[in-house]
Amino acid sequence: MPIGGVVISALPREVEQVAEACGAMAGVEIHGLDDKGNIVAVLDTRTTDEMEELMRSIGRRPGVLQVGLTYLNSEDEDAMMARGEYVPQVLGRRKGEREPR
Amino acid sequence: MAQTRREFLKKTAALSAASYVGMNLPFDRIGLARAEEGITWHPGSCRLCGTGCRVELGVKDGRPVGLRGIAESRTNFGYLCMKGMHFWKCMRHPDRLKKPLYRAKKSEPFKEISWDEALDIAAGRFADAVKAHGHDSVAYYGSGQALTEETYLFQKVMRGGLQTNNVEGNPRLCMASAVGGYLTSFGADEPIGGYADLEKAHCFFIIGSNTAEAHPVLFRRIMRRKLDNPDVKVINADPRFSQTSRIADKHLQFKPGTDLALLNGMAHVIIEEKLYDEKFFSTYATFRQGKEKKEVDFNAYKTFVAEYTPDKVAAICGGNITADDIREVARWFATSKGTVSLWTMGINQRKRGVWANNLIHNLHILTGQLLKPGADSLSLTGQPNACGGVREGGGLCHILPGHRLVKKEKLRNQVEDAWGIPRGRIPPKPGYHTMAMFSAVNAGKIKAIWINCTSPAQSLPNCNLYNKGLAREDVFIVCSDIFPTRTTEYANLVLPTAFHFEKTGVYGCTERRSQLTRKAIDPPGEAKPEVWIVREWAARLAKKLGDPVIEQCIKPFVGKEEGYALPKAIWDEYSQKVTKGRDNDLRGATYRVLEQLPDGVQWPALDEKYALTGGTVKKFVKGMDPLATIHAKNDLPYQFYGPAHPDRKLWIWLRPQANPEEMPDAEYPFYLSTGRIIDHWHTMSMTGRIPELLRANPYAYVEINPKDAKKLGIKAGDMVEIRSRRGVNILPAKVYVGPIEGMVFVYWHDQEASRMINKVTKDAFDPGSKEPEFKICAVQIKRVSGPKPLMPFLVS
Repeated sequence: MPIGGVVISALPREVEQVAEACGAMAGVEIHGLDDKGNIVAVLDTRTTDEMEELMRSIGRRPGVLQVGLTYLNSEDEDAMMARGEYVPQVLGRRKGEREPR
Repeated sequence: MAQTRREFLKKTAALSAASYVGMNLPFDRIGLARAEEGITWHPGSCRLCGTGCRVELGVKDGRPVGLRGIAESRTNFGYLCMKGMHFWKCMRHPDRLKKPLYRAKKSEPFKEISWDEALDIAAGRFADAVKAHGHDSVAYYGSGQALTEETYLFQKVMRGGLQTNNVEGNPRLCMASAVGGYLTSFGADEPIGGYADLEKAHCFFIIGSNTAEAHPVLFRRIMRRKLDNPDVKVINADPRFSQTSRIADKHLQFKPGTDLALLNGMAHVIIEEKLYDEKFFSTYATFRQGKEKKEVDFNAYKTFVAEYTPDKVAAICGGNITADDIREVARWFATSKGTVSLWTMGINQRKRGVWANNLIHNLHILTGQLLKPGADSLSLTGQPNACGGVREGGGLCHILPGHRLVKKEKLRNQVEDAWGIPRGRIPPKPGYHTMAMFSAVNAGKIKAIWINCTSPAQSLPNCNLYNKGLAREDVFIVCSDIFPTRTTEYANLVLPTAFHFEKTGVYGCTERRSQLTRKAIDPPGEAKPEVWIVREWAARLAKKLGDPVIEQCIKPFVGKEEGYALPKAIWDEYSQKVTKGRDNDLRGATYRVLEQLPDGVQWPALDEKYALTGGTVKKFVKGMDPLATIHAKNDLPYQFYGPAHPDRKLWIWLRPQANPEEMPDAEYPFYLSTGRIIDHWHTMSMTGRIPELLRANPYAYVEINPKDAKKLGIKAGDMVEIRSRRGVNILPAKVYVGPIEGMVFVYWHDQEASRMINKVTKDAFDPGSKEPEFKICAVQIKRVSGPKPLMPFLVS
């Protein structure tokens, strides 16, 4: 269950609407904003995949220019790997395997 | 995880983000230290791209658990991109190579062997090749991702030990034209300024660079500058409308290969409207023409650019740009209080990449948009250590460490003396450049090649042709890497190496900045740092060839512990003995200094006291660059001292428009260009193994302009065949108002055989820089079917 700290860069004139809209998304906590268009947020998701998707969803919102991650902690995931409860999946097709038809 | 700890971590995350934008959060900080319990944070550089972002890797119980940016770093101020935030996940990936693998024949399966056996085999095969076929039958092909210590030691053993200059690296494929441009325009390689100019610039000229996706952290700085100062102008010149174009005040969409005309057209306007700084260029520059570098006068230059009228250039550029567009951007460029140009492969990977670089520099010299705050001609680097390791550390066939040309005896002798080996040991003739090297592999002239940390089987243009050579049974191939790649498929011997933060060493990024990353965790299995591998291999080579000079090459490093003492000893030799007195003087940038600074040192830095200030922000400016003062000949504010210009001047070049090697015709009617996407890096051997990144972009696709798609009956998602005279790909289509009409664009990371676009690209190269023209070739396009389910592919 990773935790990420992000700065969302929004168009300054739309910063409040963007913060409100982002704050309504599951897994997003808004902690502050300023008149330059910076929004400080924390992302809390079940998996790192979900965090990635959440960042993309924020990035696609109107008025959002960029989402910059500044901190990522995934120690839960690491502890699960250490206990053998989770093995990172190797995605994709390997040599000798055929494309799906 | 206990709820309270989770809450503390969330507060830590919020405070981390807030600190980057100077925001104060009303948090009670009591108890936050508990969030850090058990985690140690290790400073280092990001492993991907050439920006040089500084990060801290969080390690708990010997395992990596998190990453955060370093807010005090002047490269990234704490920000990281998506790729950078995830690169550390490669460390524990199950695909990591953990044991040496060997097969006598390439048709056989690999078997695990011991390091002793592996090093004996590698030394034996290189020694046999030298004895039977001479020194130039062996070669090293390295990487802009190798640490400086690694590149330096490899090339030392190859040149001083094995007596060959067959030392190359993949930066030949990406920035050799930038090197050629800096040397011929400014007399010295690497930029005059750096990122510090971004926050002071009033105009950005971004050409041939999708900065938003290839250098997102720098793009953020540019974007921030524009948002905070609406008067700042951003010009983006590119045949493709990219993510970068979104913030541009003006996007100049020119036809591929017409960039030289466009740049001369801007110079024309600057001359015609007298927007130049005559005092600046008459004091500091001369005008040059032709192979013989003949000096001409300003009138000759004026006559030369006179033919590039805005109307004529607009027509050459393909009709999407008007003459007024060219006039307007030339005015913005020339009259702003500070203009920074930025470019990458769109300029460098051209048949006349050096000329294109020269023409950008011309605009800066003409207008005096150089040396002052907020003005620079800044080539962005694609790899983390292409500058530090390969350009500065002697990683190309024609250059020795410390920006020394192989062909100059005096400079060879300086290096031989520093190494304590007999004068004359380093051969006077440069080795094979990259395309010549793999042509020599094809021809069977190279019998043993060591490929380190790169995958030419996928990254060379027209790779089908060169993979024939790699497949030859009489060419012995060693690959050292962290994951299997398209190139390990051709190897006889695969050596598992330590990854970033699993070893110690220096990276030098775009802006002459050297930064240290210390070992924070152990590599998996039996993976080893390259410096250990080279030292042990060289010791065996010395015995097999009975050559004490090879032994001398590694003598200072024998017995040193591989995690820190060994790379430190190598860095000490390189920085103290070999860069001394050179323009990249790094004597002040000792490990001791680099460990104290959050973001490293910009050279020249002649002593530790000066290096501790951060080094030289602007070269050639007296009072800012110690070498400018040392070389001073007069009271003028600037002093040029680059080794390539004996007149100590900047050179404005008369360079004409030159078409690409291959132009569309009736049979192959489309331009093909290639590039990077934000989630993937190079041949995807790392980013393809990070699920978050792979899922976002699981395979490459072809971007087609909607007008072309309509003509060809192609709809979004249809499978499309792209065929050139060299090879074919079949890719899903993305119909998108991105590429200019008549051009298609493909991402080059995909390892799947039918989507490896370098089978299609052309291997023509710049006669000066020898950098291939990846960016432009001619192709046919046709729809082969509707959408098909696809899966990502990785070599295992």
